[in-house]
Amino acid sequence: MHSAGRSWLLLTGFILFYIIYLLFGALVFSSVERPQEDQLRTEMKALKEEFLNQSCVNAASLEHFLVKVLTANKYGVSVLKNTSMPSNWDLASSMFFANTLVTTVGYGHTTPLSDTGKAFSIIYALIGVPFTMLVLTACVQRLMYPLVLAPVGLLQRSGMEPRPATVVHFMLLLILVVLCFFLAPAAVFSTLEVSWSLLDGLYFCFISLCTIGLGDFVPGTQPGQKYRPLYQVSVMIYLFVGLMMMYLLLRTFHKMADLHGLTTFLQLPRCEDDLDEDREPIVEDHHEGQTPRYLTDKAASRPLEPGSQPSYNTINKG
Amino acid sequence: MAAPDLLDPKSASHNSKPRLSFSAKPVVLNTPDDDDECDTRTMVMRWKTVSAIFFLVVLYLIIGATVFRALEQPHESSQKLAILAEKLDFLAMHACVNSSELEDLVKQVVSAVRAGVNPSGNSSNQMSLWDISSSFFFAGTVITTIGFGNISPHTEGGRIFCIIYALLGIPLFGFLLAGVGDQLGTIFGKGIAKVEKMIVKWKVSQTKIRVFSTLLFILFGCLIFVALPAIIFKHIEGWSTLESIYFVVITLTTIGFGDFVAGEKGGSVGASETPEYLDYYKPVVLFWILVGLAYFAAVLSMIGDWFRVISKKTKEEVGEFRAHAAEWTANVSAEFKETRRRLSVDIYDKFQRAASIKRKLSSELGINASINQEMTPGKRTLSANLYEDRDTYPNLTLSLSPVTGPLTKNGSLYLNGLSPDYADRREIAIIENIK
Repeated sequence: MHSAGRSWLLLTGFILFYIIYLLFGALVFSSVERPQEDQLRTEMKALKEEFLNQSCVNAASLEHFLVKVLTANKYGVSVLKNTSMPSNWDLASSMFFANTLVTTVGYGHTTPLSDTGKAFSIIYALIGVPFTMLVLTACVQRLMYPLVLAPVGLLQRSGMEPRPATVVHFMLLLILVVLCFFLAPAAVFSTLEVSWSLLDGLYFCFISLCTIGLGDFVPGTQPGQKYRPLYQVSVMIYLFVGLMMMYLLLRTFHKMADLHGLTTFLQLPRCEDDLDEDREPIVEDHHEGQTPRYLTDKAASRPLEPGSQPSYNTINKG
Repeated sequence: MAAPDLLDPKSASHNSKPRLSFSAKPVVLNTPDDDDECDTRTMVMRWKTVSAIFFLVVLYLIIGATVFRALEQPHESSQKLAILAEKLDFLAMHACVNSSELEDLVKQVVSAVRAGVNPSGNSSNQMSLWDISSSFFFAGTVITTIGFGNISPHTEGGRIFCIIYALLGIPLFGFLLAGVGDQLGTIFGKGIAKVEKMIVKWKVSQTKIRVFSTLLFILFGCLIFVALPAIIFKHIEGWSTLESIYFVVITLTTIGFGDFVAGEKGGSVGASETPEYLDYYKPVVLFWILVGLAYFAAVLSMIGDWFRVISKKTKEEVGEFRAHAAEWTANVSAEFKETRRRLSVDIYDKFQRAASIKRKLSSELGINASINQEMTPGKRTLSANLYEDRDTYPNLTLSLSPVTGPLTKNGSLYLNGLSPDYADRREIAIIENIK
């Protein structure tokens, strides 16, 4: 069948492109980061030698000590300064942890140490992740009307053609999201966190909202942070709302792509559920040409719909 | 997908294709329902559903937080104590080291480790964290949004590039995942169709087949994508069973903490022997992640579907219940009103008759109601009867207009409102009993 063969072809094309993309990324990261790493390594070596030279410690016991320290540090327990550090597992921090688990961000700055904790995390995640995604979908569906459909309708009524209207609206929405959810929070973070620059804040916002969550920057983990619980809770709220907006953005983009025929051309998943639940294409109905296309193509494109629940990786799917 | 078909028989008719798409959207479930519901009602209900689910999520988070705290805090405290003891031991053993020097060293070591450099161990044979295969793996974790974090870019250039890279790579990966998921679904669906053909001969119901195929899907998938890799990881990485399963789940849901990372020997810091990884170990791990992610996407969306169905069913049931309750209330109040109406009509009728009889009596007997107090035996029995009647209608305040002459001017009777002071019992007695 033509479409089956074509879908296979497209898939292999995607895989190849994906591999190439990964290789490209690897090369760039490698060339950028490696010199820094080497430098740091030599520094460390020098530091160790210096320490060993001026003291009576022998290498072995220092090694032993360092191993212990680093293992503890991996789990967020610091040995520095005998001061009582706030626990990583008080209620607010545990909630923050649960939130990172459930939104699949997963920073990893604190991880469950006990076996029971690990087992519980597994079960908690398996239930919590789809749950959260359900909430996000539901919220986004409700937000679609005031934030997307109404403005596009407005633009159309003021005389624009549907396609440029959607593009204009999408651009505006994009700029708005970037301003409110990336730049503004980045500025806030860079002032609240002592060692973060603006770029660091931006990097943190991006990495968190894409749910990558590397964990090299986590707000509220500096010792001596004031109002830590409040801070962590507000970061949680920010993450949730930001995720919602990202998803909304993607939905809008997907609908736009539908409208412009991209998804049919590439045989990608269409923004189907809007057709059934909102029952409103992104543009108004007086352009009959577009609406039948949704309905007739539905059956044809159905075989190509993968698990569409806005799951952890559907920040990229509609 | 088998699950929605199972739970909503209506959608089965929509899915007329024999192939069970691995990837049916949740919308399949909603399609038949939404055609029936009207727009406004759907909108209103959705808000309630959304807020209900939202509160559920918050509750879920709070529950998780309390459980995690209960489980982890003791461990953390013991770790803290242990490491403090270590430090004091060390300082005691090596008297020439002072506390601040040590702290400096530790600080620098810790930040180095965060940057990925492990200062312990022999640095000569240590593999770089940014050689090609590791960078490839890192790029993979960024694109799949897992983001382990055991390696992360530290230069400004690296970070900026990471942002741009992710912006383009994540959608790309999304498309890829869509495609892979679909192919996986096709393969699986064909297998299921064959199995179903066999089972149909045994004349099992459609629902049972669907249940069976869902279970088979879950089981098979778990075996291939979870159990098998867990065993492999356990042997190669040296983790415990729980840790391997933990790693698999955390990775495939893209949470990706990074405390355990395949191929980085992340389980123990400072292990001097790095296991000999075969060259193709990391790419194979990445490939497994890709396919496993597709499987997990399916499983999680299935769970999500079930949540939706449950919430829809609950909504329906609650709606039905409310409708029943409203109906019942309406019926009861209608009946009540009807009874009251009948009662009042009854009493009114009686009084009308009483009035007419009174008129007759007045004209015949010429009784002056306000003066003559004599009660003949006949009248006494009549008054007794009236009192009996009065008991059965306790709410009624029977009264007659004060009669001064043989006949009241208007002859009307007041059912309610006038005080019984004016009532003349005798007259009422006569009137009541003559009916």
